[in-house]
Amino acid sequence: MANRAQIQTNNSALIAMIADEDTIVGLLMAGVGNVDLRRKTNYLIVDSKTTVKQIEDAFKEFSTREDIAIVLISQYVANMIRFLVDSYNKPIPAILEIPSKDHPYDPTQDSVLSRVKYLFSAESVASGRR
Amino acid sequence: MEEQEEATGFENEVRQVVGDEDVLRFMDSTDNYLTLLDSLSSTLRQGWLDLAIARQSMGASRINGALLDHKSHSAATSVQVDQEDVDSMEAQPRFSLRKWALVADGKQCYEEQKLGEDKFPGKTGSLQLRHRGDSQLSEEKTSESGAQLDVDDQIQKERAKLLSMFGTLISPKLRAAQLSFETALETLVEIANMRSAMLSSFDRVRKELDHQKDDMEPVPSGRL
Repeated sequence: MANRAQIQTNNSALIAMIADEDTIVGLLMAGVGNVDLRRKTNYLIVDSKTTVKQIEDAFKEFSTREDIAIVLISQYVANMIRFLVDSYNKPIPAILEIPSKDHPYDPTQDSVLSRVKYLFSAESVASGRR
Repeated sequence: MEEQEEATGFENEVRQVVGDEDVLRFMDSTDNYLTLLDSLSSTLRQGWLDLAIARQSMGASRINGALLDHKSHSAATSVQVDQEDVDSMEAQPRFSLRKWALVADGKQCYEEQKLGEDKFPGKTGSLQLRHRGDSQLSEEKTSESGAQLDVDDQIQKERAKLLSMFGTLISPKLRAAQLSFETALETLVEIANMRSAMLSSFDRVRKELDHQKDDMEPVPSGRL
């Protein structure tokens, strides 16, 4: 019975977002917006005035909050804090890089795909590196 | 000696088959991940387009981030997480979307159930044919469909409530944008599941490669 799978369930976790205005407005219309009693939101609208520090702080906050299951981040915003996004490796919350209106999705920049892409290289498999 | 060699050979074969399965699973999930992201891109594009058309017809001042509700409220749509500790080392979380969870208890999972039913459209039809003429069952079904209508009504209300921040008279394109973003959310949850499947199979493949590497390493002469 030692190998028996344990299932932990969290009934209602939030989806957090760090993205451009239109994406956030659209997703809020779909019902994911949450504002707690301290007026803390589960989203950050990134525009030309948003500093990298603000994005970093929001990412750190959302990726450590226990009530958040998925963090959506526009890929061009993720590129601004690439070092943070790449170093994140926990299963929950799941960080998903999404396209934005002016910047289409580029798989070569996706942190998850860059983590696993070395398996597609024949040399690395043959030499059994890492 | 021979028996030992045979056992090692069998072990290697088993390991190779398991390894191949993991590699296949990994490649499948990577492919699905990319396909889903492609589908997400087109759904979001449609949503942005509808939003832009609505903004054009209603005016930029009526659709922007400044109108967002900053009063305390809970999310109407959330995610349920089931974390399966298969190996304790490889936790593979499973996400499922709970749309319009604010709708009264007992009706909460309606959207999830509906999604499940949609996957097997023939099932409901065959059930109806099999039990045609059974009055008790038809009554149950009428009450069931009544409850579904009620839930549908509630969902429409929830949708309208979320759009009310943009005023009472809104462009139909705004409603279309709302539906596009709802679809995008469903795709995003599928992507999250695919991501966790991909990472889990990747870990297994990597472990397998490490095993193979250990097996291929020459035994130091001191141990002989």
